[in-house]
Amino acid sequence: MDARPDAAHRDLLIAGLGHVVVDGSPGSPCDPTPFLRVRKNRKFMGVQDDLAVVAAGRALAAAGLGSGSLGERAGLYLAVGYIPFEKADIDRLLEGSFDERGAFSMALFTTRGYGAVNPLLTFRCLSNMPAFHISVNTDLQGPYIVTYPGPGQLYLALEAAVRALAGGEVDVALVAGVNGLERAAGCVVIETEAHARARTAPAARARLADLAVSYRAHDPIEEPATGSDPPLGPAALPVALSLAAEAGETTFRHEVHARDGIDATSTWEIARA
Amino acid sequence: MRHPHRVAVTGLGAVTPIGNDVETFRRNLLAGVSGAGPITLFDPASLPTRFACEVKWTGPVLRDRKVTFALEAARQAFEQATDGSDAGPGSRPLGPGGVSLGIGLELFSIDGGILTPSDLAVHLMARRYGLEAPPLTHVSACAAGTDAIGHAFRLVASGRWRHALAGGADSMINPLGVGGFCKIGATSTRNADPTRASRPFDRARDGFVLGEGAAVLVLERLEDARARGAPVLAEIAGYGASFDAHGISEPHPEGRGAFQAMARALADAEARPEDVDCVNAHGTSTPKNDPIETLAIKRLLGERARAVPVCATKSMIGHLISAAGAVEAVAAIEGLRAGLVHPTINLEAPDPLCDLDHVAGGAARPHEQRCVLSNSFAFGGQNAAIVIVRPDDRRLPLPPGEGPGEGRDARR
Repeated sequence: MDARPDAAHRDLLIAGLGHVVVDGSPGSPCDPTPFLRVRKNRKFMGVQDDLAVVAAGRALAAAGLGSGSLGERAGLYLAVGYIPFEKADIDRLLEGSFDERGAFSMALFTTRGYGAVNPLLTFRCLSNMPAFHISVNTDLQGPYIVTYPGPGQLYLALEAAVRALAGGEVDVALVAGVNGLERAAGCVVIETEAHARARTAPAARARLADLAVSYRAHDPIEEPATGSDPPLGPAALPVALSLAAEAGETTFRHEVHARDGIDATSTWEIARA
Repeated sequence: MRHPHRVAVTGLGAVTPIGNDVETFRRNLLAGVSGAGPITLFDPASLPTRFACEVKWTGPVLRDRKVTFALEAARQAFEQATDGSDAGPGSRPLGPGGVSLGIGLELFSIDGGILTPSDLAVHLMARRYGLEAPPLTHVSACAAGTDAIGHAFRLVASGRWRHALAGGADSMINPLGVGGFCKIGATSTRNADPTRASRPFDRARDGFVLGEGAAVLVLERLEDARARGAPVLAEIAGYGASFDAHGISEPHPEGRGAFQAMARALADAEARPEDVDCVNAHGTSTPKNDPIETLAIKRLLGERARAVPVCATKSMIGHLISAAGAVEAVAAIEGLRAGLVHPTINLEAPDPLCDLDHVAGGAARPHEQRCVLSNSFAFGGQNAAIVIVRPDDRRLPLPPGEGPGEGRDARR
């Protein structure tokens, strides 16, 4: 049913691409500071939030949309990975929660362990916080979807974005994938041709030539689906697309046979820089 | 937006702190029964909040309470929609369809490892009911249940899906969940009086009461429901979503995002503010949400605002986080069908800033409704609203050839 290519994307332009992959090397920083409009929120940001804001900020800058308010006619279509609990935070919580015999104690957890934890940890653990930080730093007030946790769900977010653009619900869609555990995020800014013309946008970076998503229903307990997630999970597609554009490729095809049973393919025609 | 298909609700399932099926939930809801009590699921010891609205569940738990609740709610909904004709795993009595579920955080072991990923539920549901469309797992926190219904509505209304199992499930009544919300001061600390702690719109409210549970709706094309003679319980007519783009835990001071979500949902339904007969509010009982939601409703409804009942289901079941919007949609549908609006309990001294008809008094009130708005607003400023209408007497514009009064009326 959902395996057929969707014709709705033909009048859509890829206005900007951005990504961040933090591999620990000196050349892979993830500093959201240049993209923060509301700096008081910096203290709330965890790793997944930093990644999301940087990827979105870079993509919007490339699209020529980095400085203004995105407003009501822009939407966010985001897939997030598993929650990136920081070991240091967990250790701090647990440190004070074990008794002298080394056994976990609820009484100690609710006093010493609880007391040692930074309240901001709560915000950093919520799956929808990357969406908040993107919205507040771009003044994005339109609709959204936040899906979880794999690369297939990123494709469902992309489909939702295409439908929203084709249906006239939004003029600009940010399609983003964030994987806090693997320290990666990517963002694709898509807009309608009419919107691009009206704002005299920079030349489009790419077009989505085809898109297909299907599903193999399965029982994850008794009979897990075959397939495997690509590295970077929900960030895989936007990061790979962004890298392909940087490398000067003119056609990029992406294929996923994910372990959650979602199969997806997309082909992108990339303009020469 | 004119959708190609009208979307019928033909099945409901609910597992809630005041009833593990829709019938019990409705009875207690209309009677103003609170589901709050001391936490029994773990020893809350010295946490600032030591009570919650727990589901009284005695059956087996499959991996995780929220997964268990989701599966049970789906079973109930599917059974109602198919009149018990479900022929077993993988059968497709409703034809091809999909799952759209709002769900909470994955379950962790104490060392931070993932015990149960939250998307387990959608795959089990898809497998059980032969749903072939890629399942949507929504993690937009407190708005997730409404988002899940909204996106499923759009997929069915557009013709991409024939039917959907849509809803939400959550259970955060565990040390990290309760502790986390305590840590940011979000929950009520009225430990001595749990049943009176959730008091939306009341001057003495001091935070929300954490709840757990699930609800699932079967959505299908109205014409399909009619063709197979299924009772139509209600229609989902519109969905709207927005970002506040303002604060991480405080809503926009003018209720900008809340207003936009409601206005978009009405526009999606091709309805007008004057069509709204009742609002099932997000109504968390937090100091910040309730007056801002009131402000947004006033802006939306204008001079009519004080004449429209605005009730808060959370006064009885607490805040079910990712399940909240789905369970509240069931509450709204049951109220609409019964011609009753449920009370907002514990509303004894209204906050002057919450000056609408919040259905105080502790008892359900007769109120004929044709069009209900149901709101869900999340931490992080994500706002969602759906429009639910009575199937037999719709004032909203209809697709060509669709007249009022067609089809079977399942109204009691």
